[in-house]
Amino acid sequence: MENAIPKLSAEAIPERRSPTVETIRRLFRHRSAQVGMILLAFMILIAIFAPVIAPYDPVAILKEETRRSAPCIHLLGCPQEQTQHLMGIDGNSRDLFSRVIYGSRLSLQIGFVTITFAIIIGGIIGALAGFIGGWLDNILMRLMDVLLAFPSLLLAIAIVAVLGPGLRNALLAIGIVSIPIYARIVRASVLSVKELDFVSASRALGASKLQLLLTKVMPNALTPLIVRGTLGIATAILDAAGLSFLGLGAEKPIPEWGLMLGEERNSIFNAPHLVFFPGLAIMILVLSFNLLGDGLRDALDPRLAQNRSK
Amino acid sequence: MKQKLFVLLALFVVASMVLAACKPAPVVEKPPYDEVKFAPIKVEAPDCEYGGEFKSIEAVDESTVKFTLCYPDPAFPSKLAFSVFSIQDTGYLNYFTGDSVKMSDKPNGTGPYFVKEWVRGDHITYEANPNYWGEKAKIKTVIFRWSEQSAQRLLELQSGTADGIDNPAPEDFAAIQGDSNLKLYPRPALNIFYIGFNNTYPPFDNEKVRQAVAMGIDRQRIVDQYYPTGSSVADNFVPPPFNPGYSPSIKWYDYSIDEAKKLLAEAGYPDGFEVTLSFRNVVRGYLPTPDKVAQEIQAQLAEIGITVKIEEMESATFIDATSAGQEDLYLLGWGADYPDATNFFDYHFANDNNKQFGTLFPDIVTEIKAAASLSDPVARQQHYDKVNELIKLHVPMIPVAHGGSATAFKANVEGAHSSPLSNEVFSVMNNGAAQLVWMQNGEPSSLWCSDETDGETLRACEQVYEALLSYKVGGVEVQAGLAEKWEPNADLTEWTFTLRKGVTFHNGVAFDAGDVVSTFVAQWDAASPNHVGRTATFEYFGAFFGSFLNAPKP
Repeated sequence: MENAIPKLSAEAIPERRSPTVETIRRLFRHRSAQVGMILLAFMILIAIFAPVIAPYDPVAILKEETRRSAPCIHLLGCPQEQTQHLMGIDGNSRDLFSRVIYGSRLSLQIGFVTITFAIIIGGIIGALAGFIGGWLDNILMRLMDVLLAFPSLLLAIAIVAVLGPGLRNALLAIGIVSIPIYARIVRASVLSVKELDFVSASRALGASKLQLLLTKVMPNALTPLIVRGTLGIATAILDAAGLSFLGLGAEKPIPEWGLMLGEERNSIFNAPHLVFFPGLAIMILVLSFNLLGDGLRDALDPRLAQNRSK
Repeated sequence: MKQKLFVLLALFVVASMVLAACKPAPVVEKPPYDEVKFAPIKVEAPDCEYGGEFKSIEAVDESTVKFTLCYPDPAFPSKLAFSVFSIQDTGYLNYFTGDSVKMSDKPNGTGPYFVKEWVRGDHITYEANPNYWGEKAKIKTVIFRWSEQSAQRLLELQSGTADGIDNPAPEDFAAIQGDSNLKLYPRPALNIFYIGFNNTYPPFDNEKVRQAVAMGIDRQRIVDQYYPTGSSVADNFVPPPFNPGYSPSIKWYDYSIDEAKKLLAEAGYPDGFEVTLSFRNVVRGYLPTPDKVAQEIQAQLAEIGITVKIEEMESATFIDATSAGQEDLYLLGWGADYPDATNFFDYHFANDNNKQFGTLFPDIVTEIKAAASLSDPVARQQHYDKVNELIKLHVPMIPVAHGGSATAFKANVEGAHSSPLSNEVFSVMNNGAAQLVWMQNGEPSSLWCSDETDGETLRACEQVYEALLSYKVGGVEVQAGLAEKWEPNADLTEWTFTLRKGVTFHNGVAFDAGDVVSTFVAQWDAASPNHVGRTATFEYFGAFFGSFLNAPKP
């Protein structure tokens, strides 16, 4: 048999990229993810360089300014003899622009801190429940069901009511409220993976339970966690703003966007800039996380992306 | 047999349907209690040692009531005109044992309006009283609604769902004045906004600390920035129109950061201290922007080294906590209930039941008591000058502002007004329609006001009930009410009231002197079965007339 199958030339084999690189490539090509990333990078830069960008101390009362005066921007024809205030003066004679800038620090911290907390606790609960199973699974998951049965903001309000108002308690409340989602995601992934052949093989080779969980099972739960977590940050920021709006979150005079909105909600007709700019800032930040989360989901799950594009 | 049964059953069904369709004749609603016939009655304190002002109340005949006082009281008519002392039918009062909550379900008064319904959390509907003794109400239905948000109140007024609103935000005054469909009625500033201290908590037990804080507050800036036109910086506790009471020669401490810091250092706090400032985020005429002013004060105190944490409290909780003496630094105010300085001084600085400033200052108490028992205005003023001086020395509180506020009505509402005592009268208004909607800041706590202090509640009561005397509409002068005439004896210790004839309560019972006695006894006599109210504190009675009769020993 001379006419054997011809050997494949080395060049014909397409170079195999690692899945991570592939994912990142897809992410950067994704239109909404691009927008989301640009917005987010912009916000993060603002947060990092807040002291450089902000012209005033966000909590200092400017005695020489009239409270609630409209924005004065020299480029747009505001007379030079007036001091420039890009977003105007707030109800306590403070520079609104500086407050909005500093607010980005708080909101980003709130988002990352609460969701990291929720993912860690939720991840542990979900992994234990899924991996050990049995009565522990039952108990933990019913607990999570109870938490999920309440509307999340309402539960957060109840928790804050017990702990007392304050930014830290609000963060804790939002973190607790977000736990069950992540616990469920992790548990589902663990359940679907733990009986697969490669796990059984590892087990047969003598891997300990902890080893199995950390090296074989958990990596498979990472994808949905990242997607859900990114979207979760957006929700957490909104919830924190909501709590502050109701006076249960950040305390005056902290420049928190939700608090700024809540304080000035009566000004919507007579000094709209006081609610417009903090509202706009919340919108941009939440939008950036939502777009990025959407893009991540598509990038991490190519099948979903293809189905969508059809 | 079976068929017969079926026919019977069908007949029965038809018959019961016919019966159900026929409405029963309307039952004439009869009150579940009997009318109490008049009999002369006299309730008397054994002596004047119990610490109250009343010696006796006597129904001499059907239309004559005589009050005997333990000491002369020139402000007596002004006090009696206050709506907390509205007169109630004896039979009704006995039936409900003076329980404000139960009485609120079926209010009964003599006023130009009666309550048709109170949908809790939503609105109160008043209907004109067709049997009113005086000039009948011009608008058939008045509806009270409420919202804490000034923007919402204004929006409702502008969109036409409300005909009148209370306390528009100072920032909106210009918009209202510029709108030809609306009219603004500025309310004279018969009030005081103050920063209160409780002198039982350190560091405020130190007089120097209180004085230092007083110097560290820029009152002028607060008034300029946060108050509408018509407001003024307060130098005394009472507003300038109160004479006797106001001392034009006494000025408050000048604003000086350096002096304040120096004094703080002398008091042993060179680096300042930390403190919680509590307030309620409820708009009142004396404080139009509570949370803004709280933050302003926070920033001002930071400059003299005092770190302030702001605590916003629920309105009723806050009031209870301050009067129980649990708040060490707080923002509060007072609006005049009747136009006499006793209304300000006695309630705050010479009232054992009121612990809001901690321990009373004995020298202030002596002067206030001395002034209250005199009738000569000049002599009273001399005592009040001393009071104002001592208040400046001891600083139980920092007087900040006399706040101007306003009501706003649609331009077509005739007779619309604002009252310096915040008791707007709706029966004199006319918008040419069958209904007028009024929006105020908050929901009333009850609709029988003998045991209420909140202005929002009192206004709701004032449409339904009447006291022996009344205040001029939109003014402070005392005029006749349920009593046509009143006369004191020479030393102002005996007051005889001649009651109006032909007045009936909404429940159809005629008004007589017995009703006056039982209404007052319910408040005065702590042992009376009708001494119930809402919280049984009867704060105003205590503040106006001293101790209760038969008060339980503490």
